[in-house]
Amino acid sequence: MAVRRPANERSSTGVDERLLVEAAQGDPAKFDALYELFFDRVYYYLSSRVRDRATAEDLTSEVFHKALANLSQFEWRGVPFAAWLFRIASNSLADQYKRASREHSVSEDPPDTTLRVEDTAGDLETSEYHSSLYRLVDRLPAVQRRVIRERFVEQRTIREIAARLKKSEGAVKQLQFRALETLRSQMGGSHA
Amino acid sequence: MPKRSPAEQLDQAISALLTSGPAVSKTGLIPSVARLMPIAQALRNLPRPDFKGSLKSDLQRRISMSESAAPSRGPVKFKDFRRPNFPNIAPYFLVPGAPKFIDFLISAFEGTERIRVPRPDGAIMHAEVAIGNSVIELGDANEQYPQRSMTTHLYVPDADASYARAIRAGATGVYAPTDDHPSGDRWGEAKDPFGNTWYIATRRSQVSGAEGFLTVQPYLHLRDAHNMIPFAESALGAKATGIHKSPDGLVMHATIEIAGATFEIDEAQGKVQPGAAYLHVYVPDTDAVYAQAIRAGAIGVTPPSNAPYGDRAAAIKDPFGNIWFLATYLSSGQQ
Repeated sequence: MAVRRPANERSSTGVDERLLVEAAQGDPAKFDALYELFFDRVYYYLSSRVRDRATAEDLTSEVFHKALANLSQFEWRGVPFAAWLFRIASNSLADQYKRASREHSVSEDPPDTTLRVEDTAGDLETSEYHSSLYRLVDRLPAVQRRVIRERFVEQRTIREIAARLKKSEGAVKQLQFRALETLRSQMGGSHA
Repeated sequence: MPKRSPAEQLDQAISALLTSGPAVSKTGLIPSVARLMPIAQALRNLPRPDFKGSLKSDLQRRISMSESAAPSRGPVKFKDFRRPNFPNIAPYFLVPGAPKFIDFLISAFEGTERIRVPRPDGAIMHAEVAIGNSVIELGDANEQYPQRSMTTHLYVPDADASYARAIRAGATGVYAPTDDHPSGDRWGEAKDPFGNTWYIATRRSQVSGAEGFLTVQPYLHLRDAHNMIPFAESALGAKATGIHKSPDGLVMHATIEIAGATFEIDEAQGKVQPGAAYLHVYVPDTDAVYAQAIRAGAIGVTPPSNAPYGDRAAAIKDPFGNIWFLATYLSSGQQ
Protein backbone atom coordinates (compact mmCIF):
# COMPACT_ATOMS: atom_id res chain seq x y z
CA MET A 1 0.00 0.00 0.00
CA ALA A 2 1.29 3.40 -0.90
CA VAL A 3 2.33 5.54 2.04
CA ARG A 4 1.18 9.11 1.81
CA ARG A 5 4.12 11.46 2.01
CA PRO A 6 3.55 14.92 3.45
CA ALA A 7 3.50 17.56 0.73
CA ASN A 8 7.01 18.78 0.45
CA GLU A 9 8.60 21.52 -1.58
CA ARG A 10 11.54 19.23 -2.26
CA SER A 11 10.79 16.42 -4.70
CA SER A 12 12.11 12.88 -4.45
CA THR A 13 14.84 13.88 -6.90
CA GLY A 14 16.10 16.46 -4.43
CA VAL A 15 15.08 19.36 -6.64
CA ASP A 16 13.30 22.25 -5.04
CA GLU A 17 10.04 22.25 -6.96
CA ARG A 18 8.91 25.54 -5.54
CA LEU A 19 11.97 27.35 -6.84
CA LEU A 20 11.53 25.78 -10.27
CA VAL A 21 7.87 26.73 -10.43
CA GLU A 22 8.52 30.30 -9.33
CA ALA A 23 11.36 30.62 -11.82
CA ALA A 24 9.07 29.46 -14.64
CA GLN A 25 6.28 31.76 -13.47
CA GLY A 26 8.72 34.67 -13.79
CA ASP A 27 10.28 33.50 -17.04
CA PRO A 28 8.40 30.92 -19.18
CA ALA A 29 11.68 29.94 -20.87
CA LYS A 30 12.47 28.18 -17.59
CA PHE A 31 9.46 25.88 -17.99
CA ASP A 32 11.92 23.40 -19.53
CA ALA A 33 13.18 22.38 -16.11
CA LEU A 34 9.68 21.57 -14.89
CA TYR A 35 8.98 19.67 -18.09
CA GLU A 36 12.12 17.54 -17.64
CA LEU A 37 11.28 16.85 -14.02
CA PHE A 38 7.66 15.90 -14.51
CA PHE A 39 7.36 14.56 -18.05
CA ASP A 40 7.79 10.89 -17.11
CA ARG A 41 5.36 11.13 -14.22
CA VAL A 42 2.61 12.75 -16.26
CA TYR A 43 3.18 10.37 -19.16
CA TYR A 44 2.96 7.37 -16.85
CA TYR A 45 -0.15 8.73 -15.13
CA LEU A 46 -1.90 9.00 -18.50
CA SER A 47 -0.49 5.98 -20.31
CA SER A 48 -1.56 3.70 -17.47
CA ARG A 49 -5.12 4.95 -17.93
CA VAL A 50 -5.63 4.87 -21.69
CA ARG A 51 -5.45 2.05 -24.17
CA ASP A 52 -3.00 3.28 -26.75
CA ARG A 53 0.23 5.18 -26.95
CA ALA A 54 -1.08 7.81 -29.40
CA THR A 55 -3.83 8.87 -26.98
CA ALA A 56 -1.36 8.95 -24.08
CA GLU A 57 0.91 11.21 -26.13
CA ASP A 58 -1.90 13.53 -27.20
CA LEU A 59 -3.08 13.88 -23.62
CA THR A 60 0.44 14.40 -22.26
CA SER A 61 0.92 17.15 -24.79
CA GLU A 62 -2.39 18.70 -23.80
CA VAL A 63 -1.47 18.62 -20.10
CA PHE A 64 1.86 20.39 -20.57
CA HIS A 65 0.37 22.98 -22.91
CA LYS A 66 -2.36 23.71 -20.37
CA ALA A 67 0.17 23.75 -17.52
CA LEU A 68 2.30 26.24 -19.40
CA ALA A 69 -0.70 28.41 -20.23
CA ASN A 70 -1.99 28.40 -16.65
CA LEU A 71 1.23 28.33 -14.67
CA SER A 72 0.64 31.82 -13.32
CA GLN A 73 -2.47 30.49 -11.53
CA PHE A 74 -0.56 27.86 -9.57
CA GLU A 75 -0.08 28.79 -5.92
CA TRP A 76 1.82 26.90 -3.24
CA ARG A 77 -0.69 25.59 -0.76
CA GLY A 78 1.17 22.55 0.46
CA VAL A 79 0.23 20.48 -2.56
CA PRO A 80 3.04 19.08 -4.72
CA PHE A 81 3.27 20.47 -8.23
CA ALA A 82 2.78 16.94 -9.60
CA ALA A 83 -0.65 16.82 -7.97
CA TRP A 84 -1.61 19.99 -9.84
CA LEU A 85 -0.42 18.38 -13.08
CA PHE A 86 -2.40 15.22 -12.26
CA ARG A 87 -5.49 17.35 -11.75
CA ILE A 88 -5.08 18.78 -15.25
CA ALA A 89 -4.40 15.27 -16.54
CA SER A 90 -7.51 13.94 -14.85
CA ASN A 91 -9.65 16.65 -16.49
CA SER A 92 -8.04 15.97 -19.87
CA LEU A 93 -8.81 12.27 -19.50
CA ALA A 94 -12.44 13.07 -18.79
CA ASP A 95 -12.62 15.44 -21.80
CA GLN A 96 -10.97 12.85 -24.00
CA TYR A 97 -13.47 10.21 -22.98
CA LYS A 98 -16.36 12.56 -23.74
CA ARG A 99 -14.89 13.32 -27.19
CA ALA A 100 -14.39 9.62 -27.92
CA SER A 101 -17.94 8.88 -26.80
CA ARG A 102 -19.34 11.51 -29.16
CA GLU A 103 -17.27 10.28 -32.11
CA HIS A 104 -17.57 6.54 -31.67
CA SER A 105 -20.74 6.05 -29.59
CA VAL A 106 -18.83 4.33 -26.80
CA SER A 107 -21.31 2.33 -24.80
CA GLU A 108 -19.24 1.12 -21.86
CA ASP A 109 -19.11 3.01 -18.59
CA PRO A 110 -16.64 5.87 -18.57
CA PRO A 111 -13.53 5.44 -16.45
CA ASP A 112 -13.67 7.16 -13.09
CA THR A 113 -11.37 10.12 -13.59
CA THR A 114 -12.32 11.84 -10.37
CA LEU A 115 -9.13 12.72 -8.54
CA ARG A 116 -9.30 12.11 -4.80
CA VAL A 117 -6.69 13.10 -2.23
CA GLU A 118 -5.92 9.50 -1.30
CA ASP A 119 -5.58 8.62 -5.00
CA THR A 120 -3.16 11.49 -5.51
CA ALA A 121 -0.82 10.18 -2.84
CA GLY A 122 -0.76 6.76 -4.47
CA ASP A 123 -0.40 8.27 -7.93
CA LEU A 124 2.53 10.40 -6.79
CA GLU A 125 4.35 7.40 -5.42
CA THR A 126 3.65 5.10 -8.35
CA SER A 127 4.51 7.72 -10.92
CA GLU A 128 7.76 8.53 -9.12
CA TYR A 129 8.69 4.86 -9.20
CA HIS A 130 8.13 4.72 -12.96
CA SER A 131 9.87 8.03 -13.52
CA SER A 132 12.95 6.71 -11.67
CA LEU A 133 12.89 3.54 -13.73
CA TYR A 134 12.66 5.46 -17.02
CA ARG A 135 15.61 7.62 -16.01
CA LEU A 136 17.62 4.46 -15.34
CA VAL A 137 16.79 3.18 -18.82
CA ASP A 138 18.53 6.28 -20.17
CA ARG A 139 21.65 5.28 -18.28
CA LEU A 140 21.82 1.67 -19.51
CA PRO A 141 24.69 0.75 -21.85
CA ALA A 142 23.73 1.90 -25.36
CA VAL A 143 23.04 -1.53 -26.81
CA GLN A 144 20.91 -2.62 -23.83
CA ARG A 145 19.00 0.66 -23.96
CA ARG A 146 18.30 0.12 -27.64
CA VAL A 147 17.04 -3.41 -27.03
CA ILE A 148 14.73 -2.20 -24.26
CA ARG A 149 13.33 0.65 -26.36
CA GLU A 150 12.84 -1.48 -29.45
CA ARG A 151 11.20 -4.25 -27.42
CA PHE A 152 8.94 -2.21 -25.14
CA VAL A 153 8.38 1.08 -26.98
CA GLU A 154 8.36 -0.09 -30.58
CA GLN A 155 7.21 -3.57 -29.59
CA ARG A 156 9.50 -5.30 -32.06
CA THR A 157 10.09 -9.03 -31.83
CA ILE A 158 13.44 -10.43 -30.76
CA ARG A 159 13.92 -11.60 -34.35
CA GLU A 160 13.41 -8.07 -35.72
CA ILE A 161 15.73 -6.54 -33.15
CA ALA A 162 18.37 -9.18 -33.85
CA ALA A 163 18.22 -8.36 -37.57
CA ARG A 164 18.49 -4.61 -36.91
CA LEU A 165 21.42 -5.05 -34.51
CA LYS A 166 23.05 -7.76 -36.64
CA LYS A 167 23.21 -10.06 -33.63
CA SER A 168 21.86 -13.51 -32.92
CA GLU A 169 18.44 -13.85 -31.29
CA GLY A 170 20.11 -15.52 -28.32
CA ALA A 171 22.43 -12.55 -27.86
CA VAL A 172 19.50 -10.10 -27.93
CA LYS A 173 17.61 -12.16 -25.33
CA GLN A 174 20.70 -12.06 -23.13
CA LEU A 175 20.97 -8.28 -23.54
CA GLN A 176 17.31 -7.95 -22.59
CA PHE A 177 17.80 -10.15 -19.56
CA ARG A 178 20.88 -8.23 -18.40
CA ALA A 179 19.15 -4.90 -18.90
CA LEU A 180 16.24 -5.94 -16.70
CA GLU A 181 18.61 -7.36 -14.09
CA THR A 182 20.49 -4.04 -14.04
CA LEU A 183 17.30 -2.02 -13.75
CA ARG A 184 16.01 -4.24 -10.96
CA SER A 185 19.20 -3.99 -8.96
CA GLN A 186 19.38 -0.21 -9.44
CA MET A 187 15.77 0.27 -8.43
CA GLY A 188 16.72 -1.50 -5.20
CA GLY A 189 13.85 -2.06 -2.86
CA SER A 190 11.50 0.40 -4.58
CA HIS A 191 8.05 -0.88 -5.23
CA ALA A 192 5.31 0.69 -7.21
CA MET B 1 12.51 -31.38 -24.01
CA PRO B 2 15.52 -29.04 -23.55
CA LYS B 3 15.39 -26.76 -20.53
CA ARG B 4 14.88 -23.11 -21.43
CA SER B 5 17.47 -20.60 -20.26
CA PRO B 6 16.36 -17.74 -17.96
CA ALA B 7 16.84 -15.28 -20.87
CA GLU B 8 14.54 -17.34 -23.08
CA GLN B 9 11.98 -17.81 -20.35
CA LEU B 10 12.01 -14.07 -19.65
CA ASP B 11 11.51 -13.24 -23.31
CA GLN B 12 8.56 -15.60 -23.56
CA ALA B 13 6.98 -13.94 -20.52
CA ILE B 14 7.63 -10.49 -22.00
CA SER B 15 6.04 -11.53 -25.30
CA ALA B 16 2.94 -12.63 -23.40
CA LEU B 17 2.97 -9.39 -21.41
CA LEU B 18 3.16 -7.26 -24.54
CA THR B 19 0.42 -9.11 -26.36
CA SER B 20 -1.95 -10.00 -23.53
CA GLY B 21 -1.52 -7.12 -21.14
CA PRO B 22 -0.51 -7.01 -17.50
CA ALA B 23 -2.52 -10.00 -16.33
CA VAL B 24 0.25 -12.46 -17.18
CA SER B 25 0.70 -15.24 -14.69
CA LYS B 26 4.08 -15.63 -13.05
CA THR B 27 3.27 -19.26 -12.30
CA GLY B 28 5.91 -21.59 -13.62
CA LEU B 29 8.58 -18.94 -13.93
CA ILE B 30 11.87 -19.61 -12.21
CA PRO B 31 12.55 -17.11 -9.40
CA SER B 32 15.32 -15.27 -11.29
CA VAL B 33 12.79 -14.50 -14.05
CA ALA B 34 9.71 -13.95 -11.89
CA ARG B 35 11.47 -11.20 -9.94
CA LEU B 36 12.11 -9.29 -13.20
CA MET B 37 8.49 -9.25 -14.27
CA PRO B 38 7.47 -6.15 -12.25
CA ILE B 39 10.23 -4.26 -14.07
CA ALA B 40 9.05 -5.61 -17.44
CA GLN B 41 5.50 -4.61 -16.59
CA ALA B 42 6.59 -1.08 -15.68
CA LEU B 43 8.50 -0.78 -18.96
CA ARG B 44 5.29 -1.25 -20.95
CA ASN B 45 4.61 2.44 -20.36
CA LEU B 46 8.10 3.61 -21.31
CA PRO B 47 7.64 6.80 -23.36
CA ARG B 48 9.09 7.28 -26.83
CA PRO B 49 12.20 9.47 -26.58
CA ASP B 50 11.21 11.15 -29.86
CA PHE B 51 7.89 12.18 -28.39
CA LYS B 52 9.48 13.67 -25.29
CA GLY B 53 11.87 15.68 -27.49
CA SER B 54 9.26 16.87 -29.97
CA LEU B 55 6.85 17.98 -27.25
CA LYS B 56 9.68 19.89 -25.58
CA SER B 57 10.49 21.64 -28.88
CA ASP B 58 6.82 22.40 -29.36
CA LEU B 59 6.59 24.01 -25.93
CA GLN B 60 9.79 25.98 -26.50
CA ARG B 61 8.49 27.21 -29.85
CA ARG B 62 5.33 28.32 -28.18
CA ILE B 63 7.21 30.14 -25.45
CA SER B 64 9.43 31.96 -27.94
CA MET B 65 6.42 32.91 -30.09
CA SER B 66 4.67 34.29 -27.06
CA GLU B 67 7.72 36.23 -25.95
CA SER B 68 8.36 37.73 -29.37
CA ALA B 69 4.72 38.77 -29.66
CA ALA B 70 4.54 40.26 -26.17
CA PRO B 71 5.12 44.01 -26.06
CA SER B 72 6.52 43.76 -22.56
CA ARG B 73 7.22 41.04 -20.07
CA GLY B 74 4.35 40.21 -17.80
CA PRO B 75 2.05 37.32 -17.11
CA VAL B 76 2.21 35.15 -20.20
CA LYS B 77 -1.10 34.37 -21.86
CA PHE B 78 -1.22 31.70 -24.53
CA LYS B 79 -4.13 31.15 -26.76
CA ASP B 80 -4.57 27.43 -27.30
CA PHE B 81 -5.69 27.65 -30.86
CA ARG B 82 -3.64 24.68 -31.95
CA ARG B 83 -4.60 21.08 -31.39
CA PRO B 84 -2.08 19.66 -28.90
CA ASN B 85 0.80 17.74 -30.41
CA PHE B 86 -0.06 18.96 -33.86
CA PRO B 87 2.15 21.09 -36.08
CA ASN B 88 0.50 24.25 -37.23
CA ILE B 89 0.47 23.38 -40.92
CA ALA B 90 -0.07 19.88 -42.24
CA PRO B 91 -0.41 18.74 -45.84
CA TYR B 92 -3.72 16.94 -46.34
CA PHE B 93 -3.48 14.17 -48.93
CA LEU B 94 -6.64 12.95 -50.59
CA VAL B 95 -5.83 9.84 -52.59
CA PRO B 96 -7.62 6.81 -53.95
CA GLY B 97 -6.73 3.83 -51.76
CA ALA B 98 -5.79 5.76 -48.63
CA PRO B 99 -4.95 2.58 -46.61
CA LYS B 100 -2.18 1.81 -49.07
CA PHE B 101 -0.94 5.38 -48.84
CA ILE B 102 -0.71 4.95 -45.05
CA ASP B 103 1.31 1.77 -45.58
CA PHE B 104 3.59 3.68 -47.91
CA LEU B 105 4.17 6.51 -45.40
CA ILE B 106 4.95 4.00 -42.67
CA SER B 107 7.42 1.96 -44.68
CA ALA B 108 8.96 4.80 -46.71
CA PHE B 109 9.32 7.45 -44.03
CA GLU B 110 9.07 5.48 -40.80
CA GLY B 111 5.70 7.06 -40.14
CA THR B 112 3.50 6.14 -37.21
CA GLU B 113 -0.24 5.89 -37.70
CA ARG B 114 -1.96 8.04 -35.07
CA ILE B 115 -5.59 8.09 -36.07
CA ARG B 116 -7.72 6.24 -38.63
CA VAL B 117 -11.40 7.10 -38.96
CA PRO B 118 -13.07 4.73 -41.44
CA ARG B 119 -16.26 5.37 -43.38
CA PRO B 120 -18.97 2.70 -43.32
CA ASP B 121 -17.85 1.54 -46.79
CA GLY B 122 -14.33 0.88 -45.52
CA ALA B 123 -12.80 3.96 -47.13
CA ILE B 124 -10.87 6.31 -44.89
CA MET B 125 -12.58 9.53 -43.86
CA HIS B 126 -9.58 10.87 -41.98
CA ALA B 127 -6.22 9.55 -40.86
CA GLU B 128 -3.04 10.97 -39.43
CA VAL B 129 0.48 9.66 -39.74
CA ALA B 130 3.25 11.18 -37.64
CA ILE B 131 6.59 11.57 -39.37
CA GLY B 132 9.43 12.85 -37.23
CA ASN B 133 8.09 15.82 -35.30
CA SER B 134 5.30 16.50 -37.80
CA VAL B 135 2.01 15.07 -38.97
CA ILE B 136 0.58 14.23 -42.38
CA GLU B 137 -3.18 14.01 -42.74
CA LEU B 138 -5.00 12.05 -45.36
CA GLY B 139 -8.22 10.48 -46.49
CA ASP B 140 -9.76 8.80 -49.50
CA ALA B 141 -10.35 11.21 -52.37
CA ASN B 142 -14.01 11.94 -53.09
CA GLU B 143 -16.16 14.00 -55.41
CA GLN B 144 -15.96 17.14 -53.32
CA TYR B 145 -12.22 16.81 -52.78
CA PRO B 146 -10.59 14.91 -55.65
CA GLN B 147 -7.01 13.72 -55.64
CA ARG B 148 -4.27 16.31 -56.08
CA SER B 149 -0.60 15.59 -56.66
CA MET B 150 1.23 17.44 -53.92
CA THR B 151 4.84 18.24 -53.15
CA THR B 152 6.26 17.83 -49.66
CA HIS B 153 9.66 18.67 -48.27
CA LEU B 154 10.96 16.25 -45.66
CA TYR B 155 13.86 17.06 -43.36
CA VAL B 156 15.28 13.76 -42.16
CA PRO B 157 18.42 12.79 -40.25
CA ASP B 158 19.82 10.77 -43.18
CA ALA B 159 18.51 11.71 -46.62
CA ASP B 160 20.29 8.80 -48.32
CA ALA B 161 18.79 6.21 -46.01
CA SER B 162 15.31 7.75 -46.26
CA TYR B 163 15.54 7.98 -50.03
CA ALA B 164 16.58 4.31 -50.27
CA ARG B 165 13.73 3.31 -47.97
CA ALA B 166 11.23 5.29 -50.06
CA ILE B 167 12.40 3.53 -53.23
CA ARG B 168 12.09 0.13 -51.54
CA ALA B 169 8.57 1.10 -50.46
CA GLY B 170 7.55 1.72 -54.07
CA ALA B 171 8.59 5.30 -54.84
CA THR B 172 10.32 6.16 -58.09
CA GLY B 173 13.60 7.99 -57.81
CA VAL B 174 13.85 11.30 -59.62
CA TYR B 175 17.38 11.85 -58.36
CA ALA B 176 19.32 10.41 -55.45
CA PRO B 177 20.42 12.75 -52.65
CA THR B 178 23.24 15.03 -53.68
CA ASP B 179 25.29 17.76 -52.04
CA ASP B 180 25.00 19.89 -55.19
CA HIS B 181 21.52 21.24 -54.46
CA PRO B 182 21.35 25.07 -54.43
CA SER B 183 19.92 25.02 -50.90
CA GLY B 184 23.22 23.71 -49.59
CA ASP B 185 21.39 20.78 -48.03
CA ARG B 186 21.82 17.16 -49.03
CA TRP B 187 18.75 16.76 -51.18
CA GLY B 188 17.06 14.06 -53.27
CA GLU B 189 13.69 13.72 -54.96
CA ALA B 190 11.29 10.81 -55.34
CA LYS B 191 7.74 10.32 -56.59
CA ASP B 192 5.40 8.04 -54.67
CA PRO B 193 3.03 5.55 -56.33
CA PHE B 194 0.17 8.05 -55.85
CA GLY B 195 1.84 10.77 -57.92
CA ASN B 196 3.08 12.95 -55.08
CA THR B 197 6.57 14.43 -55.05
CA TRP B 198 8.85 14.20 -52.02
CA TYR B 199 11.94 16.31 -51.50
CA ILE B 200 14.04 14.29 -49.09
CA ALA B 201 16.67 16.44 -47.46
CA THR B 202 19.13 16.59 -44.60
CA ARG B 203 20.15 20.00 -43.41
CA ARG B 204 23.77 20.90 -43.97
CA SER B 205 23.34 24.55 -43.11
CA GLN B 206 22.28 24.94 -39.48
CA VAL B 207 20.05 27.88 -40.25
CA SER B 208 17.37 28.02 -37.61
CA GLY B 209 15.09 31.02 -37.49
CA ALA B 210 11.49 31.19 -38.47
CA GLU B 211 11.44 28.02 -40.51
CA GLY B 212 12.55 25.93 -37.53
CA PHE B 213 13.28 22.26 -38.01
CA LEU B 214 9.94 20.64 -38.66
CA THR B 215 10.22 17.31 -40.47
CA VAL B 216 7.38 17.99 -42.89
CA GLN B 217 6.85 21.17 -44.88
CA PRO B 218 4.34 21.54 -47.70
CA TYR B 219 6.02 22.88 -50.83
CA LEU B 220 3.92 24.87 -53.33
CA HIS B 221 5.04 25.47 -56.90
CA LEU B 222 3.01 28.47 -58.04
CA ARG B 223 2.47 30.61 -61.10
CA ASP B 224 3.29 34.23 -60.08
CA ALA B 225 4.50 32.95 -56.75
CA HIS B 226 5.32 36.49 -55.58
CA ASN B 227 1.57 37.12 -55.25
CA MET B 228 1.30 34.39 -52.60
CA ILE B 229 3.34 36.44 -50.13
CA PRO B 230 0.92 39.39 -49.74
CA PHE B 231 -2.03 37.00 -49.85
CA ALA B 232 -0.65 34.78 -47.07
CA GLU B 233 0.31 37.81 -45.00
CA SER B 234 -3.04 39.55 -45.24
CA ALA B 235 -5.31 36.49 -45.29
CA LEU B 236 -3.55 34.06 -42.97
CA GLY B 237 -1.48 36.36 -40.76
CA ALA B 238 1.66 34.78 -42.21
CA LYS B 239 5.17 36.11 -42.37
CA ALA B 240 7.50 35.46 -45.33
CA THR B 241 11.16 34.88 -44.63
CA GLY B 242 14.21 34.12 -46.75
CA ILE B 243 12.73 35.44 -49.99
CA HIS B 244 15.11 34.77 -52.88
CA LYS B 245 14.18 36.38 -56.18
CA SER B 246 15.66 36.07 -59.66
CA PRO B 247 16.87 39.26 -61.38
CA ASP B 248 13.51 39.44 -63.19
CA GLY B 249 11.58 39.29 -59.94
CA LEU B 250 10.50 35.63 -59.88
CA VAL B 251 10.43 34.00 -56.45
CA MET B 252 13.09 31.29 -56.55
CA HIS B 253 12.29 30.27 -52.98
CA ALA B 254 10.54 31.66 -49.95
CA THR B 255 9.52 30.24 -46.61
CA ILE B 256 6.21 31.37 -45.21
CA GLU B 257 5.51 31.02 -41.53
CA ILE B 258 2.14 30.82 -39.83
CA ALA B 259 2.34 30.68 -36.04
CA GLY B 260 5.58 28.76 -35.88
CA ALA B 261 5.09 26.29 -38.73
CA THR B 262 6.06 26.83 -42.31
CA PHE B 263 5.43 26.04 -45.93
CA GLU B 264 7.65 26.81 -48.89
CA ILE B 265 6.91 28.34 -52.25
CA ASP B 266 8.68 28.94 -55.53
CA GLU B 267 7.87 29.92 -59.09
CA ALA B 268 6.71 26.98 -61.21
CA GLN B 269 8.81 26.85 -64.31
CA GLY B 270 10.26 24.34 -66.77
CA LYS B 271 9.34 20.79 -65.89
CA VAL B 272 7.88 21.90 -62.57
CA GLN B 273 4.30 22.84 -63.31
CA PRO B 274 2.05 24.70 -60.89
CA GLY B 275 -0.07 22.48 -58.70
CA ALA B 276 -2.66 23.01 -56.02
CA ALA B 277 -2.54 21.42 -52.61
CA TYR B 278 -4.76 20.72 -49.63
CA LEU B 279 -3.41 22.25 -46.43
CA HIS B 280 -4.64 22.18 -42.85
CA VAL B 281 -3.68 25.16 -40.74
CA TYR B 282 -4.54 26.14 -37.18
CA VAL B 283 -5.22 29.85 -36.74
CA PRO B 284 -6.12 31.89 -33.66
CA ASP B 285 -9.60 32.75 -34.97
CA THR B 286 -11.09 30.75 -37.85
CA ASP B 287 -13.97 33.19 -38.39
CA ALA B 288 -11.68 36.20 -38.61
CA VAL B 289 -9.22 34.46 -40.93
CA TYR B 290 -12.03 33.19 -43.14
CA ALA B 291 -13.33 36.74 -43.53
CA GLN B 292 -9.83 38.15 -44.07
CA ALA B 293 -9.06 35.51 -46.69
CA ILE B 294 -12.17 36.32 -48.69
CA ARG B 295 -11.32 40.02 -48.54
CA ALA B 296 -7.83 39.10 -49.81
CA GLY B 297 -9.22 37.25 -52.84
CA ALA B 298 -9.97 33.72 -51.62
CA ILE B 299 -13.21 31.89 -52.34
CA GLY B 300 -15.21 30.49 -49.44
CA VAL B 301 -15.59 26.70 -49.71
CA THR B 302 -17.09 25.88 -46.33
CA PRO B 303 -18.10 28.64 -43.91
CA PRO B 304 -16.96 28.42 -40.28
CA SER B 305 -18.77 25.98 -38.03
CA ASN B 306 -18.03 23.92 -34.93
CA ALA B 307 -16.78 20.51 -36.04
CA PRO B 308 -17.71 17.46 -33.94
CA TYR B 309 -14.01 16.72 -33.28
CA GLY B 310 -13.61 19.92 -31.29
CA ASP B 311 -12.40 22.48 -33.83
CA ARG B 312 -13.95 25.61 -35.24
CA ALA B 313 -13.40 24.72 -38.89
CA ALA B 314 -13.81 26.28 -42.32
CA ALA B 315 -12.31 25.94 -45.81
CA ILE B 316 -11.22 28.45 -48.42
CA LYS B 317 -9.69 28.27 -51.86
CA ASP B 318 -6.83 30.71 -52.39
CA PRO B 319 -6.25 32.53 -55.70
CA PHE B 320 -3.78 29.77 -56.69
CA GLY B 321 -6.34 27.01 -56.26
CA ASN B 322 -5.00 25.63 -52.98
CA ILE B 323 -7.65 24.55 -50.52
CA TRP B 324 -6.93 25.64 -46.95
CA PHE B 325 -8.73 23.84 -44.15
CA LEU B 326 -8.75 26.46 -41.40
CA ALA B 327 -9.16 25.40 -37.80
CA THR B 328 -9.13 26.75 -34.29
CA TYR B 329 -8.91 24.24 -31.50
CA LEU B 330 -11.80 24.79 -29.14
CA SER B 331 -11.07 22.47 -26.26
CA SER B 332 -9.31 25.10 -24.21
CA GLY B 333 -12.35 26.80 -22.86
CA GLN B 334 -13.40 28.55 -26.05
CA GLN B 335 -16.25 26.19 -26.93
